Amino acid sequence: MRLMLSTAMLLVTLGSAFALYAINYDTRQLEQRVLMQERAAERALGDIAVLRAERAHLARPDRIEPLARSLGMGPAARGSGMRLIDLASPEGTATEVRK
Amino acid sequence: MRAPAPGPETGNPGGRLRWLALAAALAGAFALVGGQLMRLALIGPAGPRLSINEPLTRTFARPDIVDRHGRLLATDLEAHSLFADPTLIQDADEAAEQLAEIFPELDAAELRRALADRSRRFVWIRRGLAPAVAQRVHDLGLVGLAFRKEPRRAYPQGALAGHVLGTVNVDNRGTAGIERWIDEAVGVESVLGSGAPRKPPVRLSLDLGVQHGLEAELGAAMERYQSSGAAGLIIDVASGEIVAAASLPAVDPSRPVQALEAHRFDRMTTGTYELGSIFKVVTIAMALDAGQAGLDTVYDVRAPLRAGGHTMRDLHPQGRPLTVREIFVHSSNIGAGLLAIEAGSAKQRAFITKLGMAGQMGTEAGPVSPPRLPARWGQAETITIAYGHGMALAPLQFAAAAAQLFNGGRAIVPTFRAGAAYPASGARLIAERTSADLSHLMRRNVTHPSGTGRQAEVAGFEVGGKTGTADIAAGGAYKDGGVISSFLAVFPAPAPRYLTLVSLFEPNATAETRGKVTAGVNAAPTTARLIARIAPLLDVATQ
Repeated sequence: MRLMLSTAMLLVTLGSAFALYAINYDTRQLEQRVLMQERAAERALGDIAVLRAERAHLARPDRIEPLARSLGMGPAARGSGMRLIDLASPEGTATEVRK
Repeated sequence: MRAPAPGPETGNPGGRLRWLALAAALAGAFALVGGQLMRLALIGPAGPRLSINEPLTRTFARPDIVDRHGRLLATDLEAHSLFADPTLIQDADEAAEQLAEIFPELDAAELRRALADRSRRFVWIRRGLAPAVAQRVHDLGLVGLAFRKEPRRAYPQGALAGHVLGTVNVDNRGTAGIERWIDEAVGVESVLGSGAPRKPPVRLSLDLGVQHGLEAELGAAMERYQSSGAAGLIIDVASGEIVAAASLPAVDPSRPVQALEAHRFDRMTTGTYELGSIFKVVTIAMALDAGQAGLDTVYDVRAPLRAGGHTMRDLHPQGRPLTVREIFVHSSNIGAGLLAIEAGSAKQRAFITKLGMAGQMGTEAGPVSPPRLPARWGQAETITIAYGHGMALAPLQFAAAAAQLFNGGRAIVPTFRAGAAYPASGARLIAERTSADLSHLMRRNVTHPSGTGRQAEVAGFEVGGKTGTADIAAGGAYKDGGVISSFLAVFPAPAPRYLTLVSLFEPNATAETRGKVTAGVNAAPTTARLIARIAPLLDVATQ
């Protein structure tokens, strides 16, 4: 009886150990995947940082300004704009602007 | 007949004890094996541990820096840094020779010595490599070389706002400017790899477009008037936020060594200068605010002032008594001197102190050089200070003080942080009426036919301003022919939102200036071009 009990205990212990090992193995696999995802995210963040820096570099004012000026653009000055109320309406000069 | 085996069933107490001892030993061993299995299953084998021989060099991840509209000024990028383990290097001579071909700037002999030193396990070769260079090193296939990824500071706007942004060192720690302030006030994260910063970006008060406009106009002015340097600043008079600040020649923050070149020092904060007649704004503010004079009070400015063995004259003598209004428009030194004498040196000093021009100040970009005040503040000093000589201060400190005269008379704390609210802000320094009178005088100096600032007029933007031309002091004497031409401007009048200060250092006379070097012919038109360019960016509508 005792021998059977001992054998049963041994089997339960071994089974538990193997079950734990299997869970642990799965956990490690998941950890590995998380690590890979984290590395991928890190790489993506690095790429985003590079792209943001490149975009900022390409959009720097000393590069854009000559391009804008070559298209005839420049800072707004007196006469560049007009009041909405001054726009001629199809039926004559507008007297008020309603929002 | 065999004797029965001793055991529990035999009733032999000695045999029973041995049986129990054996069972206990087996159970103990069993428990040990089970326990170890559980430990391994739950905890797993020990991970790699940091060895004392491994490199412990740390670097730092920094938050991004953006302008007031969120446009990127500085960021961390991942870069490869090359190191060697000399114990793994098979042929130090060959390795050094091959590396020296890729890095000609390295001392080959020093590199060979380092690679041959087998008592070391870690030697930096080069940090912050470009990807192409790292690939060339990788292609060498040398055993004992390895890379580490580290964050490196990148400045996508190049040298724009270089003096303000400052620099970082090889470990990515701030050493000057805003970068240093980030280390001290915001904090950086120590990382072993190239971890991305978790801190939100640091948002500055600078406006990228306005900053570019300022630097471009200062650069053009340096060329046009052949000056040795130029400095400029634009400040929001209500909040104290500095929208743009520049000193030329500029400094590229990605090349920290440039900051050590003498001609590139920051003239806006590091140099202290006598700024000339733009200081008359302060003198007249003092007189008006104390009620000692009104805009139409008349002073007899025909006779030169004499004090301390010096004679003070007007550069543009009118030959008649002048009102305070005219003293400002004709930039009368004698008139400013008379106002200061009337107030007295004690009141003058107290007013200058109240505006924050007598003590040391600083911003997030670093400390500003302390003002140089006269050791003895007698009548001669009172007179000369009245028109901007006799005390020297950094242009930034003067501009910050002057901005308080045009915002209704409230104290401000100059700052490079967007949305910063300092408790010292808001205290009343001068009466609202005085502030309005000063804005009126500034505008009049630009619109009056004989105003010294008439070349600063920009159609539609209601500019007001004051000129100042001062000799440059060096080694206890004035430099022969070298002047600083400055123009202090506010816009749009009569309730200014922004103040600009433009200073040109040692400008030369040109055909355009008809042989003159005074601020009215160089700094004032430069300011006009600047305001025409930046006012729309600052949402200042044309009138």
